[in-house]
Amino acid sequence: MREILTMWRDTRMIMLVAVTAAVYAAVLIPFKGLTIIPGITSVRPANVFPVVFGLMFGPAAAWGAALGNLIGDIFGGTLGPGSAFGFVGNFFFGFVGYKLWGNLGGLSSGVRPDFREKAGRQLVEYAVVALVASAVTAAIIAWGLEVLGLFPFSVLGTVVTVNNLLAAAVLGPPLLYLVYPRVESMGLLYTDVMRDEDLPTVGHGRQQAIAYGITAVSVVWVVAGIAVSVGVQGVEFGAAPGGDVFRQGGSTVQIVLGAVAFTVLFVMSALSGERLSEMTAPATRTRAVEGGSD
Amino acid sequence: MSSSPSLYVDRATPLHRLTARSKLALLVGVFTVAYVFDHPLWVAVPLVGSFVALVLAGGWRNFRRLAYIVGALFVVGFVVWPSFTPAGGPVVVDLPVVRLTRRELLFALGRSERIAAFVVGGLVFVTTTSNEEIVAGLRSLGLPYAFCFALGTALRLFPTLLGATSTVRQAQAARGHEVGRGGPIERLRSYVPLLVPVLMSAVRDVQTQSMALEARGFDTRGERSFYDRRTFGGADWAVTLFGLALVVGGVGLSVLGYGNV
Repeated sequence: MREILTMWRDTRMIMLVAVTAAVYAAVLIPFKGLTIIPGITSVRPANVFPVVFGLMFGPAAAWGAALGNLIGDIFGGTLGPGSAFGFVGNFFFGFVGYKLWGNLGGLSSGVRPDFREKAGRQLVEYAVVALVASAVTAAIIAWGLEVLGLFPFSVLGTVVTVNNLLAAAVLGPPLLYLVYPRVESMGLLYTDVMRDEDLPTVGHGRQQAIAYGITAVSVVWVVAGIAVSVGVQGVEFGAAPGGDVFRQGGSTVQIVLGAVAFTVLFVMSALSGERLSEMTAPATRTRAVEGGSD
Repeated sequence: MSSSPSLYVDRATPLHRLTARSKLALLVGVFTVAYVFDHPLWVAVPLVGSFVALVLAGGWRNFRRLAYIVGALFVVGFVVWPSFTPAGGPVVVDLPVVRLTRRELLFALGRSERIAAFVVGGLVFVTTTSNEEIVAGLRSLGLPYAFCFALGTALRLFPTLLGATSTVRQAQAARGHEVGRGGPIERLRSYVPLLVPVLMSAVRDVQTQSMALEARGFDTRGERSFYDRRTFGGADWAVTLFGLALVVGGVGLSVLGYGNV
């Protein structure tokens, strides 16, 4: 996870944080009017960006997604106490992709995410990445609003997972197909921009084990959180986020479950590696070093 | 969008002369008041106050640029919010398609005003605070310089991207591509061809901007100095205390039951 901090040493990574945040916010805000839960969430086609940018810009996309969501909250009129959890949740939305790609064993395509070769296997791998990224973001935000006593976990857990997954899964592959080779030729993939010593050095076995761990914790957290809401708190499954469930959060079981899950997730993230740097062709790296972007 | 893409308006109003820190404190106070009350009359205070401040600071042009977003958020919120609160009081709207009680109406109006107050309040801040002041202000709060720089740059790039979208849209229109026509789905689909060019123009600029920064000695690890760093004067202290008073007063009155529906 050290790349999360070391990336701030590089000017281009800092600029990529700003670009990711600006693009994310610029597409989030016009759609704030298409409300799902007023003041909380809306239809968000922009949710494709954290996952796609995460695969290209790595840690810069994680920070950019977090900042972009915050800017979107301010200028979209949805700023509130939940925005802090939105910041953390969206950070993980951009963070998960580059951690998982290539580390999912049999589910991995073994090639970089440009959808030029092994397209079918890339689609499967991308779908898993999008699902895990959506689930972890939903879990963090739903847990946050539960902690704040606003909504039961199941309401936001389901809405945010589906909302994130739809945009990321449907729009992601064509966008990567169109954009990835261009960004690669500019030498702006994080694997090209960051120095090798700034990237995590973790063995393949541990990388894969932790990728599985992040996948399991993310999905189990969302499923268990929804189950606790429905089974223990008595919230109807698929309950619309209407007045009867508003301010019904604050379950101790949910708070403890989330605290444990988040701690485990954080520790695993800190120990994780990434495989994309091994998939980047040496020729691309050479171009980047020479500064031949155009 | 053909004019300057920046939202900052260079004027010499009292708001412009304040430091970014005191404006942030004021913004927190305004947002708190807008957040803690439900009744539209109470929420109207920060909304109207922010709007007047925006106009006086020369931000009318900025408001017009984002008016459609504010309008859409307000209208949609007003339509959707009634289903998020229990009915109460006499029925005030009784039509074949919609039936609203007084409580639902007031709640929806208050929530829509809150959203508008957030947007307008944020606009006041970026209208009166330059990118450099935002970075220096956040840095003085103890945030790492690189993080402040990225946030400030994102705020500057955000309207630039909207400007780039307009340029690409005009270029595509010149080639016969019609954007924003037809039904909602058709309209959305017409924006897809704009996505990649706008995205790539933003990413392409990363290289040149990074080189320009490094040519000027940009280094995130050294201690920064800022040109025209403003001192935190008496007016800043007064505004900060006012912001703090808004937070304490707003929360206190809300707890006592004022401003609820």
